[in-house]
Amino acid sequence: MSGGEAHVENSIWMRAVLFGGVFVAIGLLAFATMGVGVANVKHVAYEDAMHEYEEAKYDYENAKANNATDAEIASLKTAKDEAHHHEIDAHLSYLTWRTAGITILLMCFTYASFIGLGGFLNSVFPDDHGHADHGYGGDDHEHHGSGSPIVFSLGIMLFLMGFPSFQATLGNMLSGVDANLGDLGVSMLGLLFVTAGVANWWREDLPFIGNHEQIATETDAWFAGEHIRKAGLWVFIMSEVMVFATFFSSYLRMRTEWCTQWQVNAGNENCAAVDTLTASDFLRPNGGMLDGLGGQGDFMTLLPGAINTFALIISSYTIVLALKTAKSKDWVAPTGLMGKLMPTKKAAVRNYLIATFLLGSMFIVLKLVEWSHLVAEGFTIGAAGTTGQAASIFYVATGAHGLHVFIGLLVMLYLIFKADTVGYDEKNGQGIEYFGLYWHFVDLAWVVIFPAFYLY
Amino acid sequence: MVEKLPGNFDIYFWNFVILMIFTVFEVGAVFFETVPGTDIEITLSVVWAILIGVGIVKGYGIAAYFMHLKGDPRVYTRTALFPVLFVLLMLWGIGLSNPGAVTELPSWCTPNWDYAKQR
Repeated sequence: MSGGEAHVENSIWMRAVLFGGVFVAIGLLAFATMGVGVANVKHVAYEDAMHEYEEAKYDYENAKANNATDAEIASLKTAKDEAHHHEIDAHLSYLTWRTAGITILLMCFTYASFIGLGGFLNSVFPDDHGHADHGYGGDDHEHHGSGSPIVFSLGIMLFLMGFPSFQATLGNMLSGVDANLGDLGVSMLGLLFVTAGVANWWREDLPFIGNHEQIATETDAWFAGEHIRKAGLWVFIMSEVMVFATFFSSYLRMRTEWCTQWQVNAGNENCAAVDTLTASDFLRPNGGMLDGLGGQGDFMTLLPGAINTFALIISSYTIVLALKTAKSKDWVAPTGLMGKLMPTKKAAVRNYLIATFLLGSMFIVLKLVEWSHLVAEGFTIGAAGTTGQAASIFYVATGAHGLHVFIGLLVMLYLIFKADTVGYDEKNGQGIEYFGLYWHFVDLAWVVIFPAFYLY
Repeated sequence: MVEKLPGNFDIYFWNFVILMIFTVFEVGAVFFETVPGTDIEITLSVVWAILIGVGIVKGYGIAAYFMHLKGDPRVYTRTALFPVLFVLLMLWGIGLSNPGAVTELPSWCTPNWDYAKQR
């Protein structure tokens, strides 16, 4: 073993497989309790509410047909409207638990397969005692770069090439239609390449303890003297800025054409009435109404988006705390409860990363719960008129952001694994810093998306 | 990296607190129709000003302190600003230059499109 990097026995990767097992157990438990147990109770309540609404509607229609007094009709109409609101609340409550249970199950299965499969592939490698250069160089070696990103990119390309058949086949399988499993082939091959690329990337990075970080040596270059990985990450983030700029400019383009409640309230002479509902009309108080949709927003409907905003900000802070702790040369264990949670520097870094991971996971769960409510309330891409456009750009923009959060969570799984095994310190803590840059960017994108799509 | 303010204040902690407060302010601006406890109406222009203003402050806080642009070599700030020109062109060229806009956008937003006001 060289002094240039940590020696990692391949058997340590079995701990990643164990992580995978824990995620499967958590996913199944969450699904059984939330997605089945509580959701079934809520479904019974929803069916009762539906039944009450049907009865109230029948009484109201019956009273009108039998020429009841105006007072009786008004009273029955009030009862019918209340029963309708109660039915909607019961339906959304059922959807909340059902969607949360299914989302946690799917997320945990993805986490398990990602970390578990990557760990398993590395654990079956023979130990290579005496060869120190896994990609980041030993004491006497220059860093020779990594081929893993190329394998990873090839996998992504294959996955996307096969994606149309992949999603159609999965759709057929889920709806019980005969499906040709061979149509999954190209995408599955792509996923295999992705897994192999990621597993090899981990294998190269895990022993890295901060020696021989690649530095730009060209003296008149922009990034002269800077870490190449950091410069590369900033260039990557700038390309991501362009991706989100396309969503936002498309949204602006469409938004300037719509007669929303805001335009009507502002007295725009071209907008006599509302012709488009946006997501904010369903979520914020006093939102617009059109064809019986929207206008039902209150504090509770705005809450998931607001909680998510706070969750991302807090997670940005916890990852900063993980970095600060790793980089600290004179770290002292805190006292009290925090001392029990973080007795050592290694545990503190790992636990701050776990806190970030949990907040990010909560973001995804709340996001999908919120989507399920919006779809149930009629905010779909198939909605009439330009409301369908509004739904389309909303789901594309917030979905792309959610995908970035989820990819960040998958990367964070590895960071937690490394923090728990080799550990991060002042020499190799830049791994957290570079991931943190991406995570903060995701937060930054939300700073634009949240007011534009949820509030305005 | 800038970590401490004079008086041993933790810059990251205070940045976090400010981001939280401004987010509450942002949500409140949309949630209330009037300033709580008064009859002062929160108009569309005020909402715009608050959302854009808060967005700029929050964006600066995240980029400057959490992403360490303040304190890191200038080359990173220049890299971060590099796509701004393209982003502005996209926002203007695609986002705002909309001939079908109903908002009576200023003339620089709808150059030489006589049909801009038709709908």
